Amino acid sequence: MKKYFTKKLIIYFLTFFVAVTLNWIAPRLIPGNPVDTMLATYTGPAEGRAILERQLMVTFGLEGNLFEQYITFWRQILQGDLGQSITMYPRQVINIVRNNIIYDIVVLFPAIILSWIVGNKIGAKAGDDKKTDKFIMPVIYALISSPYFWFAIIVVYIFSFRLGLFPSAQAYSGGVRPALTLDFILVFLRHWFLPFFTMFLITLGQWAIGMRNMVIYEVKANYANYLKVSGARDKLIRRYAFRNGVLPQVTGFAIQLGQVVSGAILVQEVFNYPGLGRLMLEAVQRQDFFLLQGAFLALILMVLFANFVVDIIYMFIDPRIRVSYSEEGK
Amino acid sequence: MKKRWMLLAVLSLALIFTLVSVDAVLADQPGEGPTTREETVIYTGVSWAPPNNWNPLYHDPQPGTVGLMYEPLFHFNPHSGEWNPWLAEEEGEWIEDDVFYVKLREEPTFHDGTPVTAEDVKFTFDIADEVDLYYSTIWNYLDEVVALNEREIEFHFENPNYQQWQTNLYNQPIVPKHIWDEIDREDIASISNEEGIGSGPFTYGQALEDRMIWERIDDWWGTEVHGEFAPRYVEDLIVYGNNIALGMLLQEELDISNNFLPGTPEIVATPEYNVTTYYDEAPYHVSGNTGLLYLNTERPGLDDPEFRRAIAFALDTDDIIERTYQGAALPADPSGLFGAWADYRCDEAVEEYGFEFDRERAIEKLDEAGYEDTTGDGWRNTPDGEDIHLELQVPAGWSDWENIMRIVDEQLREIGIHTEPNFTDDTVYNNDLWNADFDIAFNDYQTQISGTPYTYFEAVATDDIYGEQATNGNFGRYENEEVFDLITEFNMAPLDSDESHEAAAEIQRQVLRDMPVIPIMLNPTYSQALETHWTNWPSENNPTGIAVGWGGLWQMGGVEALLNLEPAQ
Amino acid sequence: MTAKAKRIFQKIKSNENLYFVITNKKILFGISLFSAVCLFAIIGPYFANYGIGEYVGISAPASLAAPSVDNPFGLTMNGYDVYARTTYGLRSTIQVGFIGSILASTIGIIIGLIAGYKGGMVDEILMGLTNVVLTFPQLAILIVIAGFLPYRGISHMAVLVGLVIWPWTARAVRSQTLSLKNEEHVNLSKITSNSIFSILFEDIAANMLSYIFMVFIQQFLGTIMATVGLEFLGLGPTRGVSLGMVMRNALQEGALYLDYWWWAIIPGLFILLLLFSLYFINTGLDKIFNPELREM
Repeated sequence: MKKYFTKKLIIYFLTFFVAVTLNWIAPRLIPGNPVDTMLATYTGPAEGRAILERQLMVTFGLEGNLFEQYITFWRQILQGDLGQSITMYPRQVINIVRNNIIYDIVVLFPAIILSWIVGNKIGAKAGDDKKTDKFIMPVIYALISSPYFWFAIIVVYIFSFRLGLFPSAQAYSGGVRPALTLDFILVFLRHWFLPFFTMFLITLGQWAIGMRNMVIYEVKANYANYLKVSGARDKLIRRYAFRNGVLPQVTGFAIQLGQVVSGAILVQEVFNYPGLGRLMLEAVQRQDFFLLQGAFLALILMVLFANFVVDIIYMFIDPRIRVSYSEEGK
Repeated sequence: MKKRWMLLAVLSLALIFTLVSVDAVLADQPGEGPTTREETVIYTGVSWAPPNNWNPLYHDPQPGTVGLMYEPLFHFNPHSGEWNPWLAEEEGEWIEDDVFYVKLREEPTFHDGTPVTAEDVKFTFDIADEVDLYYSTIWNYLDEVVALNEREIEFHFENPNYQQWQTNLYNQPIVPKHIWDEIDREDIASISNEEGIGSGPFTYGQALEDRMIWERIDDWWGTEVHGEFAPRYVEDLIVYGNNIALGMLLQEELDISNNFLPGTPEIVATPEYNVTTYYDEAPYHVSGNTGLLYLNTERPGLDDPEFRRAIAFALDTDDIIERTYQGAALPADPSGLFGAWADYRCDEAVEEYGFEFDRERAIEKLDEAGYEDTTGDGWRNTPDGEDIHLELQVPAGWSDWENIMRIVDEQLREIGIHTEPNFTDDTVYNNDLWNADFDIAFNDYQTQISGTPYTYFEAVATDDIYGEQATNGNFGRYENEEVFDLITEFNMAPLDSDESHEAAAEIQRQVLRDMPVIPIMLNPTYSQALETHWTNWPSENNPTGIAVGWGGLWQMGGVEALLNLEPAQ
Repeated sequence: MTAKAKRIFQKIKSNENLYFVITNKKILFGISLFSAVCLFAIIGPYFANYGIGEYVGISAPASLAAPSVDNPFGLTMNGYDVYARTTYGLRSTIQVGFIGSILASTIGIIIGLIAGYKGGMVDEILMGLTNVVLTFPQLAILIVIAGFLPYRGISHMAVLVGLVIWPWTARAVRSQTLSLKNEEHVNLSKITSNSIFSILFEDIAANMLSYIFMVFIQQFLGTIMATVGLEFLGLGPTRGVSLGMVMRNALQEGALYLDYWWWAIIPGLFILLLLFSLYFINTGLDKIFNPELREM
């Protein structure tokens, strides 16, 4: 088990390392003096500009050579100092990010879990039953061929504009302030539903396809044939096929998670829904480097954390890991 | 066993993480609970960045700081030319050539109960002499502010700037001396001032990342004198795209949109939507400013007045307005003047040097001035053979301005000028504008209708262009000493005098002859109101004011519009 | 043609799988749809009655801009022809997708082959690298980099997308390599000390051509998705028109609320059709190259 985890953790640290480095490199792609370009979007009092300029100089500095700049950068990150947003001066980036993470979680968490459950069920049925397969597969294909944002556009057009059932933008309406009251929660849910629905449907397609293919393979596998030949009920075969099919699905989860999070960014854009994705987009448009960096790193951390959780779950459901790794541990 | 605990640990971690995030969001909301929809008026199209400054001495505080939270001496209606004495009791007057007299009402008090007195007015102006504030230039003209007693003030001028002074009367928010006098002079212009004590009907309620909520002061001094405000909260909602505002308006999620909304004519014509505008049909909105094409006089081609004039003749503004606004805007007069400014229009100058859409003439002018295609690439070159490639710049996302530039691009290409639209982030646009780092830009920052055409002349040809940044107009850095002097003459001449009219006429003549800017159209003061929650919005038949929340417009009809709102039954 | 190339070609021709490819209904459907869409991208522009930035006529209210004979996909709110913008935009998007996926496949195949064949430390390092890139949400990286590029041309975008999308290919190719590398003919080549390149390409890669082809299709899918996404966010090519950008414009001008649905929805439909066809092709190929599925 230790070895299993060590490997995974190394990958995660590496990923974070690469992400931070990427963040450090990217702004240097700007021709000319990056500090000036970034401060161009600053609209606050002059004194604030001086402070930001100093911070930016340290980060990009004309202080120390490249290597020293890099080290300083890391030091700031590890201290949790993500700086102050240039466009939303003097707000701290870390606070802005904290305020926005919840919206990602609230949409992604249920969407991923529900789509996983429903998608796998549908995929299993399709892999098993030829009739369902013929029927369902084109639909699933259509779903996974739809760009996330395009699907969101259709959803808005039908459910918001035509049917008028749900609002088309924002996390909650004007005239209402966030608080734990029933009123607010209802308003929040109304705004939450369409983004959630969009993410749910498309992600569902991804799991369904994966599961279907897995089941088909498994059903044709030796042990399945053996069971069939020895007269086991279809249902039993299906259950085993499913169990075995789930395993690769879970590893596939990590790969898919990146795609889902990417999709969430697009959906947030269509619905003008808050979240790290939209934050990143705003930051890029305004060349607000500190905000972009903060949102990007928070996003990566979120993804890594989710991966980590999945790894733990995987450990529980795949007995092979426990056995092989615990033996190695001896 | 061990593994179960691990799983539990991970899941609880996730739960805690979620709760912490929820807490972070809620933590931003101190004190009171949610507002009710019925008590709130929601504006959009006013702010485009999160609120962070409520300091009236700062040049760009949150819109509403002046008007709702702090109040000026007068309100002014720029279309009718009427003054509405606000803190003042009656219209001010020039009791001598160089002395302006104002009398305060006796009712006004600040939110902490202290009365607004002449001392506060004096302090508001004196502090600009002490500290470098955005309006400190007034001291180039003022000599002394004298508080005669509790309520009467005399402004003694060294050389009175009659025209410009008009704007100070309705733009200057009066601040409480007893509070601001205590503040460190170094910080006074940059503090954020959330806890500010003003005298206005509303005050800082709550500032969130995506909205500003103003809260009504129930014992506001002006209730008996001016009236009572029905809404308890004014919410200034930041919406990042005009289309989002459109959707929200149609779904009744906001009350008044000051955004440019595409499709306004259809929306107004559809009763189900319950949306009104000032006029029931074209132009739908009141004109707010003159939209100018600024031409950078330092760029190839644009450095030649003949070239610039040719461009003016090549533009079909009717087409621009029809395609961009579907008729919901008015074309600009070549002089650029309208509303209260029109009194100073010089008809002869416009006749002699004005322009109209005439493509042949534009081509003729270009040919005559020597702009032929010498390189054979299909585009005209300068007489020296230099390439001409002009970028048409506006902020990205301002869809109406983007459309204007696309059409201008089309029209200029038709006469052989190589142009290209360039949509940049709005703050990048601002910097390019101020640093004269653009070719052709569409802009209306300085041409807002006001109490005097002086502000328009300054917008076109201010002499403040010799620093690194020119932020007061004349972004194309048009240099004309004569016009600079004439503008000053105009400013210093008594209101409506012969001298002022003569100066204004000569200014128009020279500016039209040299064409550093091309007035295209009158930008509407967009105001699309929903009648579902609030009613009695200003309109042609109900001219209470103008429902708009932009900074600088609260005191020009915005407050009055708000004052007259009634809850819909 | 060199002898080596000839040998590879022989292998392909004698493959009985080709017969199955041609007769498989799914593949036929997929190929026809795919060709139709590509044809639309290639010759569609010649049938456009208007240019992408050419003003057609009054386009408000929406009823005047609806699809008609002259403008089969209707008009945008600014009076531009949606058909022209769609077909040129599709061209641009497919170009980026194609170039990007070639780049991604190349990188992925090379890394996969080396990792699978060499094994050991090399494998660990390469797989580590692959996993790292794989964990990133692709669009997030693309946004960060594209956001800082001063100018984005079609080639820039293709390279950018290609550099981020290859891991999936690397993994797939690696696992195939692993199973192939112990086969007889490979060992034979090893004994006769052929160069590593000839082993990798002739013996291993040549035997998984079908697989590589399927992998390429999968990459193409991914790059198109990523490309369209970037365009929609406003980070597409700075000049010209692209499919995602057309939809972005539609959304931002309020097409959804003013009922210009053709402007927002039709361009995306082509992406759907394109990818849909590719999935069919891939499923069909999957059955052929995995005989166990042939009966299904």
